[in-house]
Amino acid sequence: MIRIIHLREKCIGCNACVELAPDRWKMSRKDGKSVLVDGEEKNGIFIALVGDDELKKNQIAAKMCPTNIIKVEKVQRKS
Amino acid sequence: MSPAGSWEALSSALHAGADSIYFGVEQLNMRAKSSNNFTVDDLPKVAELCAQYSAKSYITLNTIMYDHDLQLMRNIVDAAKANGITAVIASDHAVLMYAKKKNMEVHISTQTNITNIETIEFFSVFADVIVLSRELSLSQVSDITREIKRRNICGPSGKLIQVEVFAHGALCMAVSGKCYLSLHSHFSSANRGACIQNCRRDYIVTDKETGYELEIDNEFIMSAKDLCTIGFLDKIIATGVEVLKIEGRGRSADYVHTTTKCYKEAVRSIADGTYTAEKIHQWTEDLSTVYNRGFWDGYYLGRTMGEWSSSEESQSTKRKVYLGKGLNYFDKPKIGYFKIEAQSINVGDEIIITGPTTGYVHAVVSELRVNDILVQQASKGDCVTIPIEEVIRPSDSIYKLVDSRTGNSK
Repeated sequence: MIRIIHLREKCIGCNACVELAPDRWKMSRKDGKSVLVDGEEKNGIFIALVGDDELKKNQIAAKMCPTNIIKVEKVQRKS
Repeated sequence: MSPAGSWEALSSALHAGADSIYFGVEQLNMRAKSSNNFTVDDLPKVAELCAQYSAKSYITLNTIMYDHDLQLMRNIVDAAKANGITAVIASDHAVLMYAKKKNMEVHISTQTNITNIETIEFFSVFADVIVLSRELSLSQVSDITREIKRRNICGPSGKLIQVEVFAHGALCMAVSGKCYLSLHSHFSSANRGACIQNCRRDYIVTDKETGYELEIDNEFIMSAKDLCTIGFLDKIIATGVEVLKIEGRGRSADYVHTTTKCYKEAVRSIADGTYTAEKIHQWTEDLSTVYNRGFWDGYYLGRTMGEWSSSEESQSTKRKVYLGKGLNYFDKPKIGYFKIEAQSINVGDEIIITGPTTGYVHAVVSELRVNDILVQQASKGDCVTIPIEEVIRPSDSIYKLVDSRTGNSK
């Protein structure tokens, strides 16, 4: 599993994450910022737990985000 | 017209006598990343503050626009109209169209790169004020303003089109801001307000065949110096332009205060015939004390093709060092009470105080007291009182000005 974290407030709506990982990101037509699909909000920060197959695309999206508001981390499984 | 990238800068601009200010809300402006932008909820307070000073307020809505931005753009125009903001500064046609429909005054941004009279005629259907491209010479600007009068080109208000030009602040290597460099190297688009200013660095050229690396001779070849027109502002005004723009929504309150004050004084001096070499010298010196990359006269005089900055850092002659925070102000004796959180403060130090309401205050420490005892110096941890003419507030920060080269405060 991987965890994607999105500090949405700082988004400038450049559309890069949507271009790079279209299954996980979409643009809001309401406020022009990106939306983390299936993300759950806590104190303004959106978090989604998704499968490992999405790691690469979202790592690129995180790297390319001009405002550095996307973080992707591997979730350690409890044994 | 002065930049307001924060409440501090806004107050500084108004206190220093700006006739108008420009600012951005949310993310659809050219400083989406670098400045502390306002939100739609701040609009009533911005409009009210500007009204108090009889200053006009312009909202920047001048990035390139995508489909997903349109609703936000419409919301911003509606909110600006509802709250009495004077005008919207725009470049994208969708914004022009919507603002016209809503009867909101529009100014055409320099991002539109207007360089000729027929383009002015085209945009006059939408806008009353047009900012020219930054690359025109004085005679080209004069030709345009003369032709506006001759052809009687009017905006939606029915009045002649007013022309605005850049008077002071950063220029860049791209034609009026249309630059791809930051996006190319760092995926951070200048045209969406996220320029990372990589043109401001020095570069090495590598010969692919041999691997030899050449450090480029004049160092920062892409980093233009800052525009400063204070020395030939009479010529600029003689071209018939009516608005002078000071660039710098990413810059601090002291920059906004000093630039606004100098240019305001210069414009007044030109009007009353007291625009002298001594004054120009003093203004240039004052302008050098705040953030700058060295000065040049831009493209107006048509001589130099480009003057490049010799360093990435600011060339300001003075640097501000953070000292601490405001605590209280005692009205009657006119004394400010501060907590020193860093460095030390001495009698004779030049200090500045900035804050969201205070804006910018400049003073020299004439007297310093700790626990009501006169001292020559106070350091980190001390609470001090200093005589100050203007009111200061707990939301303020206090800095001392030191020489940029030596680091000395006197």
